[in-house]
Amino acid sequence: MSGLLVVLLVLPFASAAATMMVGHRGESAVKGIAAGAAALGLAVACVVAFPSLGDAEPLGSVFASTSSAGPAIELSFYVDQLSAVMLLLAHTVAFLVQVYSLGYLADDSRYPSYAALVSIFTGAMTMVVVADDLWVLLVGWELMGACSYFLISHHWELPEARAGAVKAFLMTRTADLGLLFAILMLGSRFDSYRISTIMSAIAEGGFGRDELWLPAVLLTAAVVGKSAQFPLHTWLPDAMPGPTPISALIHAATMVAAGVFLVARTHPLFLSAPTALNLLAVVAAVTMFLAATYALFSSDLKRVLAWSTVSQLAYMFGALAVGAYSAAVLHLLAHGAFKGLLFLAAGSVIHAVGGSTSMAAMGALRDRLPDTFLTMTIGFGALAGVAPLAGFFTKDAVMGAALEAAQDGRLVWPWVAWVLFLSMVVTALLTVAYSLRAWLLVFFGEPAMVAEPVGAKPVVEPFDGAQEPLVETHESPWSMRIPLYLLTIPTALGGLAVAYPELIFGAENEESLVHAELAVSMTALVAVTAALVFWQWRRHERRDPWTSLVLPHPPVDRVYDVALVRPVRGMAQLVRVGDRDVVDAYANGAGASARGLGWVLRLAQNGNVQGYLMVVVVGAAALAVAAGVMA
Amino acid sequence: MSHAEAALNGLVAIPLGFALLAGLAARRTSDRLALGLAVVGSLITFGWSVWVAASSGSTLGAFAVDKSWITSMNVRWHLGVDGISTPLILMSTLIAACCLVSLVKHAPVCGGRATLAILLLVIEAGVLGCFLALDMVLFFVFFEVALIPMWFVIESWGDEHDEAGRRRAATRFLIFTVLGSALMLVGFMLVRSVTGTFDIVEVASSYQPSGTTAVAASLLIAAGFAVKTPLWPLHIWLPDAHSKAPTVGSVLLAAVLLKLGSYGYLRFWMPVTDPSWELVVPMVAALGVVGILYGALACLAQTDLKRLIAYSSVGHMGFVVLAAATFTVGGVQAAVYASVAHGLITGLLFFVAGAIKDRYGTTDLAQLKVLYGRVPRLAAVFAFAAMASLGLPGLAGFWGEMLAIRAALDQSAVLPGGTFATLAVLAAFGVILTSAYFLAVIRGMLQGAPAEVRPVNPGTESVELVSAEVEPGSLVVDPVSLVVEPVETDVHVMEWVAWSPLIVLTLVFGVAPGLLLSPVGEAVRAYFGGM
Repeated sequence: MSGLLVVLLVLPFASAAATMMVGHRGESAVKGIAAGAAALGLAVACVVAFPSLGDAEPLGSVFASTSSAGPAIELSFYVDQLSAVMLLLAHTVAFLVQVYSLGYLADDSRYPSYAALVSIFTGAMTMVVVADDLWVLLVGWELMGACSYFLISHHWELPEARAGAVKAFLMTRTADLGLLFAILMLGSRFDSYRISTIMSAIAEGGFGRDELWLPAVLLTAAVVGKSAQFPLHTWLPDAMPGPTPISALIHAATMVAAGVFLVARTHPLFLSAPTALNLLAVVAAVTMFLAATYALFSSDLKRVLAWSTVSQLAYMFGALAVGAYSAAVLHLLAHGAFKGLLFLAAGSVIHAVGGSTSMAAMGALRDRLPDTFLTMTIGFGALAGVAPLAGFFTKDAVMGAALEAAQDGRLVWPWVAWVLFLSMVVTALLTVAYSLRAWLLVFFGEPAMVAEPVGAKPVVEPFDGAQEPLVETHESPWSMRIPLYLLTIPTALGGLAVAYPELIFGAENEESLVHAELAVSMTALVAVTAALVFWQWRRHERRDPWTSLVLPHPPVDRVYDVALVRPVRGMAQLVRVGDRDVVDAYANGAGASARGLGWVLRLAQNGNVQGYLMVVVVGAAALAVAAGVMA
Repeated sequence: MSHAEAALNGLVAIPLGFALLAGLAARRTSDRLALGLAVVGSLITFGWSVWVAASSGSTLGAFAVDKSWITSMNVRWHLGVDGISTPLILMSTLIAACCLVSLVKHAPVCGGRATLAILLLVIEAGVLGCFLALDMVLFFVFFEVALIPMWFVIESWGDEHDEAGRRRAATRFLIFTVLGSALMLVGFMLVRSVTGTFDIVEVASSYQPSGTTAVAASLLIAAGFAVKTPLWPLHIWLPDAHSKAPTVGSVLLAAVLLKLGSYGYLRFWMPVTDPSWELVVPMVAALGVVGILYGALACLAQTDLKRLIAYSSVGHMGFVVLAAATFTVGGVQAAVYASVAHGLITGLLFFVAGAIKDRYGTTDLAQLKVLYGRVPRLAAVFAFAAMASLGLPGLAGFWGEMLAIRAALDQSAVLPGGTFATLAVLAAFGVILTSAYFLAVIRGMLQGAPAEVRPVNPGTESVELVSAEVEPGSLVVDPVSLVVEPVETDVHVMEWVAWSPLIVLTLVFGVAPGLLLSPVGEAVRAYFGGM
């Protein structure tokens, strides 16, 4: 089994290397390698993961160990139930994304490097979810950041792609310092970098309440960055200029999901540190509401989905903060399915309308994109929590846990739990509102050309302006539609998992995941909200119900700009000038009036190097002799 | 001559011998033959160093040469290798071989390729002597041997567009380094006045530094190496020297010559310094951290690629000094690791910068644009090296810096813990600044809009391209930037040959840190005794 684990880890990197080697010399070979390796990866992941589900014992293996000062750095892996479901999720989405990209990027000249980066991305996520050693986890964690950087800037001729990529990398990397220091602290505290060792030591107890608050808070900082939670939430929407399949990969199964995974993996540490849990709960409560609000007002389809990811991840963090481990993981899985579906379907829509992501360029696409319409409807339904789709059950499990924590909470302060629960209720309704709005704007109403009143200029400009201004909408190729249909299966049926959690988490799990009363009342509220939105939409002649409302850009960016970016730039200029004018001054022999160094310098600048050398050597020798005499 | 003697003396004699042979060939027959001899010499030296590494242990011991040399001063010809010096020796011979191989295809504009190759071999011999020397005076002698040829390299083969600048850079380089080495020599003399020996192994095992003379010696030696490493504010010679030197000179300076300073700290400064002195060690560590932040800030404002890489060295070497100043086994491991990683990565960066200069005649960042589109492979190698240099985990640059931060948090018990924890956090922020400037370079130099690119919907913030319209390598080049050749050539075979060892090793040391850490750990415990 551990041999297969090695295959699973090496395969994506080998595939990436092969893809880069072949490059432009064999387009079809590259496509074959990329999709084939992803399929093989999925198969191996299934073989590794399925035996680890349920009541299985975790699989641990150590391949190499470094004897160095301090705790050993090991190449060690650990596959438990959590790793298993994450492996399945990551490799399923990665495989579907590779297949989808065959169609989506069929004519892209940068396809080889794109496919290679997707492979490395998958390999890095695999590394994160099966790592036992914290350093191995960190390698995968930051490798994902680098891959997402390169993939976001895939279209590097676009200024917003360049800017978004840099922002994503710098923000997540700064937050990653939290992970680095947490690892260093845990390592010196437990004399081991193995997650399994550290977590079982914490679970066995013997630690004072909140004794480990600092590493837990540092980890919180790292996941807040990686999962784009408030106040580091601004990079994710700006990462949207990347190709849409990449957004599906980042949002559904890798990068941002890794933040939730890390908290789940180190859950015993968090449970022992209420400070971190309270912090996490507050961050989640703020983030979910804020992000849902942005989603409600965004006019860009991909940004709606991006904000919704931020908001849904906050649900998972909220669940973890109140101790609802299984609910969080199940919501992560359900979200992986429906968000992957939504992004891939959005890609299909974008493909169809000629490349625009603005919802103003869409409309009335229901009949022209029947497959996309059907699958995306199911995806939006799951996101909004419509019974009986996956999101309905898992969201209910999360919210039920939050309500219980608010009523008789032990882990977080009651008021924090209440704030969290209320934020969850409001956000659930906002989610319905923005999902319905996006769905209506994309698939119903009037076609874009007629509906959009922006002067004489056609809104949708085909990329090379030579072609006809009116874009012909067309359904996507089959390579793009099949992944959509495959993802509808877990999106529609995945909710059943809450009825049989022991199949995934084993019999020891005693979390109650079904909360019937809450589910009924939420469904009623959802229905009312949906009716309200629908009514507003009709009242506005079947157009965007709130075009006139524009939410300002996240103000936190301004804070970062004023507090960090500008001072650093200013300091950089200062250093540059200082190095040239001040520190340089002594080197330039500004002190020529002073004898000694100034004299030597002048001598040397005359080019009389022999003379100068002699002076130096003689001087050194004289000093040396003096030293010898003194002694 | 015993096995060890042959091996160690050979390591210095082979490059010198081939330099001599090449010199004769250049005079009698042809430059081509001379160059060929030099390349062969560097390859043999590399092979020889691998053999030395394989046959020596990781601690100083029987594998050594120890003969009387200058009897009147009791200076001994004492050479040896251990786990601290072996990685640096291997890295130096490899980089030197890469430099000479790269000369095969690439003739300097001003000619004199064979002479340049010979000088490189002499530098290599001096550097190897430094890494082998276990006698302080012997170290000083080799140190000077490595310096003087570098002056000629910068002065004669440097930036062909700026003669005054390269002369100034060369002279400044020489003045600073020779003055530094003079301070170092004085320090050595002071050490000898206390201990009665120049032999550093004896000093390391028995010397208990205390008193004013010992502090003065430690400070002088620290100052001498601070020039070479370089440590802020003595770094001022470095940006000029590195940016004006020819490509091979920059590579050798950054990858190999700076390591004389960091190695000096490990081998010669640590044994003569007592970490429990109140100020000396924290001050050195603090200067290292200042260098990290200062170098990164300077990089953020640079407009020239080679200068930027040069300043980035100040930052990376700051990590090395910080690690050494923790006086722990982990710290020395970190210092050696970071030194080797910096050699590989910065060597690669300077090679790429040189290749860019060959193609476009400039390294001005304002003029270089869209290299992803023009020379995609070259740009990809640069992006890789930049990622390695900014410390991406999984590549060699990460471990040295991570271990340096760890060592600073876990410093020797006699050092002030709070100070070092603060320094560790500051150093970590230096990593972020490093990321910032490399991303800025990638954004400005590699990426960009080749042709006129319009957003799909002018009204909205976001743009999606279903297919990029740009074919790599077949771009319409904007007229603003100057292009020397009409046909732009991507990385050619000889460049791949010279660079691929660096690329491969950056990957190998990124995924297998254990390769280097274990032997260094053993050597440190043996060399410093009770650490």
